[in-house]
Amino acid sequence: MLLKSLYGVSRFGVRFYRKLIDPLDLLTGIEKRELLAHLAGDCDPFRILSIKKGPGTRERPNLIPSSNSSRLICCHCTESDNHLKFMWLHQGDPKRCGCGYWFELCPIAPL
Amino acid sequence: MKMNNNHPFHLVDYSPWPFTGAIGVLTLMTGMIKWFHNFNFNLIIMGYIITLLTAYQWWRDISREGTYQGKHTIVVNKGLRWGMILFIISEIFFFISFFWAFFHSSLSPNIEIGSMWPPSSITPFNPFQIPLLNTIILISYGVTVTWAHHSLMENNFSQTKQSLFLTILLGFYFTILQAYEYIEAPFTIADSIYGSTFFMATGFHGIHVMIGTLFLLTCYIRHLNNHFSKNHHFGFEAAAWYWHFVDVVWLFLYISIYWWGN
Repeated sequence: MLLKSLYGVSRFGVRFYRKLIDPLDLLTGIEKRELLAHLAGDCDPFRILSIKKGPGTRERPNLIPSSNSSRLICCHCTESDNHLKFMWLHQGDPKRCGCGYWFELCPIAPL
Repeated sequence: MKMNNNHPFHLVDYSPWPFTGAIGVLTLMTGMIKWFHNFNFNLIIMGYIITLLTAYQWWRDISREGTYQGKHTIVVNKGLRWGMILFIISEIFFFISFFWAFFHSSLSPNIEIGSMWPPSSITPFNPFQIPLLNTIILISYGVTVTWAHHSLMENNFSQTKQSLFLTILLGFYFTILQAYEYIEAPFTIADSIYGSTFFMATGFHGIHVMIGTLFLLTCYIRHLNNHFSKNHHFGFEAAAWYWHFVDVVWLFLYISIYWWGN
């Protein structure tokens, strides 16, 4: 009991104070995996931020990561456009947007 | 379609609490009518019990989801923050309505109350006695709750515990003093528009102080059980925001109703 009460005791000047639990120790589940990914340098562990389009040809389509067999995506065709073109992308079925850019689903492991 | 939940959002599990909450407030309101018309407490007490049990279990489940299941990712945290901000804004509007009623009645007093404010034969509280002490208490608990937050962020468990305890103590002290004022008041809620506006505004403020104290007490218990870390302690932040809101409302109350309205 005495040893437990001394858990995380630190010295600040001449006073002793108890510390809170280490954040990484306290975290669990998906929140912990998200933080570990951020600490490892990955600022988008769930792959939900927008991606800048690459060449987007049929031979080199824009690869969209997804851990599901289908994903809803949208294409901002040109900078001056005020609307987005939405489409479903399915595993193994590359698709072309009306503006000419190709997209393909790329499987990734879930976090 | 194969579904893996590779997203940071929290899709909550099935829960009975929204339904029991609805039943609880319905029972509360119907019970209030039964109390007013038939002078019978039974239904309203049942309504209170159901509502309080729902609130306890619902918030307990939220703490479990965040602390023990790790469901509160960054976006979920942001959503909770927005939720608390919008709730406090709705409460601000709730108090605006009582201040509107007060200023409507006091800026142009009716002939029926003597064309004066305070109305004739109303002896208001001296703003420089207990109300001033209450103001000092509230400003002090704003300081102690900020101390608690900084201690949390600086990873200091002991000082967080001490400052949080002090904050709760000051909250209780305010409630006790207001209760004494209410008992000793020379006027009642039935005493003209003065009594109505005074007790509606200060009464609802008092309820908010009690709720804030309870919220901080919950944070204190969670802190003792090591739920908070120096980076993630939104429950405490929400309580601190609510506490500051209650403090600001009192300052408006003190200046307009106690001081200017004297």
